[in-house]
Amino acid sequence: MTFYESEIKRIRGIIHSNQGQIDTIIGMRNYIDNNYDSHLNLEVLSHIQFVSKYHLLRLFKRYYGLTPRQYLINKRIEKSKEHLRNRTTVTETCFAVGFESLGSFSTLFKSKTGKSPIEFQKEQLSRSK
Amino acid sequence: MKVTIISIPVRDQEKALQFYTEKLGFIKKLDKPLEGGNRWLTLVSKEAQEGPEILLEPAPNHFEPSKVYQDALMEAGIPYTQFDVDNVQSEYERLTQLGVKFSVKPTKMGTVKFVVFNDTCGNNIQLVETL
Repeated sequence: MTFYESEIKRIRGIIHSNQGQIDTIIGMRNYIDNNYDSHLNLEVLSHIQFVSKYHLLRLFKRYYGLTPRQYLINKRIEKSKEHLRNRTTVTETCFAVGFESLGSFSTLFKSKTGKSPIEFQKEQLSRSK
Repeated sequence: MKVTIISIPVRDQEKALQFYTEKLGFIKKLDKPLEGGNRWLTLVSKEAQEGPEILLEPAPNHFEPSKVYQDALMEAGIPYTQFDVDNVQSEYERLTQLGVKFSVKPTKMGTVKFVVFNDTCGNNIQLVETL
């Protein structure tokens, strides 16, 4: 066994010993991945997993390194790029990925990608010509 | 500032180019001749061609500490570089069929699954799937 393998084994024993907890949190991520376009919040997620919402928030952050809300936003932004590349309008894209306000979509998109949705779309379409 | 380059030290640039493109599926982006037969050789991922580039650099052949460090990582089984994949198991099977040697078979750890293989150019490379 290499040094790397023995370290992996040792660390896994310490920080990843609770498989039930890991399964819960993986289930939550899968749920977000499959339902990012609907109205999601911690109430809904904790109800599905039968776990208190603050506990769920802490667990998610511990295992994935970001909060469920941040994860959901990243997922929606990533999906919105696909829509924009396929010539979907900014307004349609915004609602298709689950955002409820055009203003917050545009602001988030710009803060995550450095460009507004319309700038991103123009750039992508001119590139594919 | 932008992140554009991820350096991977290799013993043989041509051999590395073949392994990384033919087996791993990366695409060559830049190939500029430098002095002494060395090249500025970069690759991009097929799915993200505008994304960061891998620089296959011949450092171990020209700077002894680089070689020593690379050998020590290899000996310890430590991957210094990792790539994301959608499915670790299917990549493991695909690459095994192509003759790639794995030091860590598909292993779950918390919310990730990973493997480690030998890139034949002096490095252990890890593939990771987020579960």
